[in-house]
Amino acid sequence: MRTLTQYRGILRAAAGAAAAALLLAACAPGGNSEAGPAPSEPVSIGVGSEPVTLKLLVTSGVDVPLYTALGKLFSAKYSNVTVKVENQDYATLTTTIARTLAGNNVPDLVRVPQLGNLTKDHLLISLDPYAKAYGWDKWPQSQFASTRVAADGRERGTGPLYAAGAGFGLTGVYYSKALAQRIGMTRPPATVAEFEQLLAKAKDAGLQPIMINGKDGGSVYPLQNLVMSYAGDAQAVQDWNYTKPGASIDTEATVKAATTLQRWGEAGYLPADVNDIDQTRAPAEFLKGNGVFFPSGNWQAPGLDKTGSGQFGFFLAPPDVAGGPSYAMTAAANLGIPARSPNADVAAAFLDFVQTDQSARQETVTLGGLVPAGPSDAPVPAAPEGSAVAATVSAFQELLKNNELVGFMADATASIHVNSLVPQTQLLLAGKTTPESFAAKVQSDYERDLGR
Amino acid sequence: MYAAFVLLPMLQSVQYSFYDWDGVGPATPAGLENWKAIFTQPELLQSVVHAFVLVFFYTVLPVGLGLVAASFIRELKPGAFSTTARIVLFVPQVLPLVAAGIAWTWMYSSDGLVNQVLRAVGLDRYTRAWLGDFTFALPAVGVIGVWVMLGFCTVLLLAGIGKIDPALYEAARLDGAGRISEFVAVTLPGLRRELVVCTTFTIIAALASFDVVQIATQGGPGYQTMVPGVQIYRLTFLQQHISQASALSVFLAALVLLVIWPIQRLGRQQ
Repeated sequence: MRTLTQYRGILRAAAGAAAAALLLAACAPGGNSEAGPAPSEPVSIGVGSEPVTLKLLVTSGVDVPLYTALGKLFSAKYSNVTVKVENQDYATLTTTIARTLAGNNVPDLVRVPQLGNLTKDHLLISLDPYAKAYGWDKWPQSQFASTRVAADGRERGTGPLYAAGAGFGLTGVYYSKALAQRIGMTRPPATVAEFEQLLAKAKDAGLQPIMINGKDGGSVYPLQNLVMSYAGDAQAVQDWNYTKPGASIDTEATVKAATTLQRWGEAGYLPADVNDIDQTRAPAEFLKGNGVFFPSGNWQAPGLDKTGSGQFGFFLAPPDVAGGPSYAMTAAANLGIPARSPNADVAAAFLDFVQTDQSARQETVTLGGLVPAGPSDAPVPAAPEGSAVAATVSAFQELLKNNELVGFMADATASIHVNSLVPQTQLLLAGKTTPESFAAKVQSDYERDLGR
Repeated sequence: MYAAFVLLPMLQSVQYSFYDWDGVGPATPAGLENWKAIFTQPELLQSVVHAFVLVFFYTVLPVGLGLVAASFIRELKPGAFSTTARIVLFVPQVLPLVAAGIAWTWMYSSDGLVNQVLRAVGLDRYTRAWLGDFTFALPAVGVIGVWVMLGFCTVLLLAGIGKIDPALYEAARLDGAGRISEFVAVTLPGLRRELVVCTTFTIIAALASFDVVQIATQGGPGYQTMVPGVQIYRLTFLQQHISQASALSVFLAALVLLVIWPIQRLGRQQ
């Protein structure tokens, strides 16, 4: 049995806890809403003559050799600038970036995995003054659309520019030239229907028609492509990506796309264990010949060329009607300038350099597998004839010319990819959801994410 | 120190759960919204249900099997075999859970060890990509838990058995007790404290599981293996929805306490 003193002790502890909670509740968490808006002083182009150390924070892996090389080229041109490349792995950077940018030891340029709340919290500066000073505003603008964020901190594609990058990721379909020949494919399919005929032929020939990573979202690429093909237009998807008010993906085209993808699964065009294949295993299986087609992005191209030089081709996802527009999902490898960066002018000069300097653009293709955009008349970096890299580069140039770059649906909100698109396509391929409820669910998750 | 690094953050979590906050910008009061979401968003509630399914794999099976293993090893003469048995059982406990997750991901893949074994014994039609299978993904994750927890429980229970007065076993045998009644009359009551520690530890591990799931399945396929730990991680770092994550964390902590409390009381009664 407890004694009276014990009870008194408990009461006192409870009262203390309650008081502390009240005290905490009195002051709301957060603050620093004014970390710094756009630079108020006029921006200057060039790097000056003072010695400067430009600090870059990028993601681990392929980013490091690329930006180290770009930094060396930059230092070679401007001897007073030293470029220091630091890195964090993608997941860590995503999780710590807001804290890093709000802290005291801030990099001058940071790889922005997702803009999230960074603009709303004023952690990045607007690049518009630099875009004007360097003439980026005269370049094809679709390359900058995904990093424009409106004043509400949410809607993209409009408002100030917050990041620009060395190069772009883009998705399409790789194919094994040898296997394609075996099923009688002489040219890339001109329509979705033609593509499906090839898939059927591959199946009949005892080959695995498509290799894809359904575990971590690879099946979302063909899905989005089908949506755009069936719609004959990417506007709906683009509005949705940019969270334009009233945007909806719960459309006829999405339902049709989901139906097609589900049919591919049922017909055995996708691997039986599609939901267990991740993005490390998929290219490895494709290289082994397990798969005639491999829908993925240009970042795979250097790896495919390295192991099987000249053996792989690449085409953009076909339109629904012959001659219709071909769309590709792209995402820029974006760098932003933190609001607290002490060397914003030099950082902007670096951004201009990586987009315009010919040798920098070449490194972006060779080392990063990414395609540089930049001005429309910039020479296209060279890639070995017949290589997968060459094919992705020329596909990108075509898209850039026609302003057919479309953002990836996975980037619409911070969690739509992991919390909705990936599990929902898995359910779809397993026949556990219908195309109609698929479209409705993705839309309702999206609205919840946006608080609409 | 304790107050600053443990109590204060805990109270702050409670506080954040009543706001709408992204971790950096200004916070706005949100009332009970974040708490309501736990019960109205099917994915959040479902993840809590999965955590309780994992309790079966992390707690019930390892403690049950651990008891069996421990009482067998007790009867072995001390020597190379019994030492090896202990080591083999305990090794998983030494491995970081992330490493266990990766190793098991390979074993479960379509041409991994598990399926190779099935094929070798002619059970071809049972082979599948275990972690990508809607029916078997959660039990498959659970088996990783059994594998990790079994050693811990066995070794702890063995130590407990060692402390039981041998005279009790002798007395039981003189009274004509068989193996089973000896186990029920002597071993089980003697292991009360160890059992409480085992169950408490493993239940917490099950309800708060994160690493194995994040590595092995990321909550998929579909939402089949989603657990609160992974949800909290995503809410905090991906969605920067600190307040919703706080509400779910506090809810999870309360659940853990609610489940642990009766077990602790059971341990105290003499």
